[in-house]
Amino acid sequence: MGLTHRALLYDGRSDFLAATGAFLRQAVEVGGAAVAVVRPDNLGPLREELADHRDEIEFYDSAEFYRHPVRTLKAYLELVDRVSPLRVHAVAEPVWDGHDARQRLEWQRYESLINVVFAGSGASSLCPYDRSTLPGDVLDQVRLTHPVVVDGADERPSDAYLDPASYSAAQDLGRRHDRPADAEYLPIEADDLQPLRLFVATRANAHELTPAAAQNLVTAANEVAANALAHGTPPMGAWVWTSGDEIVCEIGDHGHWRPPPLTGFVPPRSALDTGFGLWSVRLLVDLVELRGGWGGTFVRLRVRR
Amino acid sequence: MHWASGNGSAAYAEPTRTHRDGQGMGTWYDTRYVDDVRPGDHAWLPYSGAEERDHVVAPFVAGALATNEKIVYVTDAPAARLPGMSAFDPAAFAATGQLRVLTRAESCLDAAGGFDPDRLGRTIDREVARGFEAGFRAVRFTTDFTWLLAAGADLTGLLGCEDRLAHAVSPSTVAMAVCQIDRRRCPPDRLVELGATHEVRVEGNPLFDDGTLRIARSFAPRGLRIEGELDRARHAVFAEHLGRLLAGRRGVHLDCGGLGFLDLGGLNLLVRHALALPRGEALILDDLPANVENVIDMVGWNRLPGLVPGRARGARDGGATAWA
Repeated sequence: MGLTHRALLYDGRSDFLAATGAFLRQAVEVGGAAVAVVRPDNLGPLREELADHRDEIEFYDSAEFYRHPVRTLKAYLELVDRVSPLRVHAVAEPVWDGHDARQRLEWQRYESLINVVFAGSGASSLCPYDRSTLPGDVLDQVRLTHPVVVDGADERPSDAYLDPASYSAAQDLGRRHDRPADAEYLPIEADDLQPLRLFVATRANAHELTPAAAQNLVTAANEVAANALAHGTPPMGAWVWTSGDEIVCEIGDHGHWRPPPLTGFVPPRSALDTGFGLWSVRLLVDLVELRGGWGGTFVRLRVRR
Repeated sequence: MHWASGNGSAAYAEPTRTHRDGQGMGTWYDTRYVDDVRPGDHAWLPYSGAEERDHVVAPFVAGALATNEKIVYVTDAPAARLPGMSAFDPAAFAATGQLRVLTRAESCLDAAGGFDPDRLGRTIDREVARGFEAGFRAVRFTTDFTWLLAAGADLTGLLGCEDRLAHAVSPSTVAMAVCQIDRRRCPPDRLVELGATHEVRVEGNPLFDDGTLRIARSFAPRGLRIEGELDRARHAVFAEHLGRLLAGRRGVHLDCGGLGFLDLGGLNLLVRHALALPRGEALILDDLPANVENVIDMVGWNRLPGLVPGRARGARDGGATAWA
């Protein structure tokens, strides 16, 4: 079982309804699990368009479904498992407005990761992109992240498509890693990480994260530090600072780790799988940024209140 | 009663440790490990089975014999079969007066075979005074009062007796008492009344306690209670106790009610142990605090094969649950 992952470039509502409507009708006809995850303003019209198949199609609001790329991948995996042995045929329309550059980059990476995470699932995904409203840099990436692009009656393989590992690595090249001079610092010197948890929890609470979000950040920071203690090279330490709504926690050591580009992005099947720790860390906070090199290994965790 | 009072012995000079203040069944009391019970403590032990009872009574008895303290045990069972006696020769300790195993008939029954609280009071007075004169640094008393809870029994005698015990033990620098009660045989309201006559509740010594993580046996249901923070520095000791629990078939429940932090490596550790269980069995995580459960929900129970959520938080209310 392979994966069919196609982008749909469309112009305006009627174009959208015609293409996605046909896709979903065909999904029902072939006995697949038909799923529509579309932006709020497309949701009502699409339901209406497919009123005769109302009970055979699951509808979701993209604004709810696409909040956190790592969690969205997990939710889609759960969907695939739930309907198995039926194959998922999904109209999957991400949200592209309201993001800063860093978040947009993660959603683009997400589109690319679909090709790895669902390879072998037998699923078919059609990802609509509104050419009339989306910004150029979003549209530019579509051909890099989708192996096939549908444009009107024209459907052809994308010659710009990059394998997800290369795409992901390229996405991280432009990252900046400034750290404010007034960031608070705690050296990690002993095996016992209780002082680190207290250090992070105190600042997370002061930043008014919810108790659950604070515990998630503490759990994530603890995991990264435990990993540094197990595999890294002293000296090690943690920095915490805030920037607007965001609290940032960075754990660094002087080891020379070059993480493979997809590290911790592909959901593990169980807690015993390699990569469970870093994947969980990505799940627990809003954003994880890794950088490794001769200067050391640094893992930056970001959470908005 | 006039139990000896005076200067406390040096061994008990430290302030008594109370590891948890708690409200149980409507009554406030300190909860103490059995090794932390001190002269002046009138403690009760509500238990849910012989295993739990012996887990507390055995160190109470053995602790006396190992440290020049006298133990007075009112029971009709033979001395050699009492909890805590496996490493000791009863005859040798009986000969010195350090071990006194008294039958009910010779310590607390009247001529008609009924419970006589006054007689029990006099018996204890006498044993404590003799123990003090013989130079023992403390006198420990214990008995199981469950036999007084027969259906429809009037508890007035027992409650009055407990009251007397409390007034006598509390000011003493020599005497301490542990009153055993099978909570399964006691209606919840009676259990509340009985508990209220004690200021200390005693529980088994922890298997491990470093101030950050505490691991203890739990008995209803059977398993381990984990309190505090389970992290990398404590994985090895936790794995050791969990492995021993599972290998000995001593329960599969983990009481997580007091768990403040569980790291991701801890989840991995739990799964590894759960998968070693016989087919069809699981490790059951009871009473998960919301913030810990949130982390587990986030990664998904489906990634934690062999672990299942158990009793929901707040379902536990002491005696009522065990008695029902």
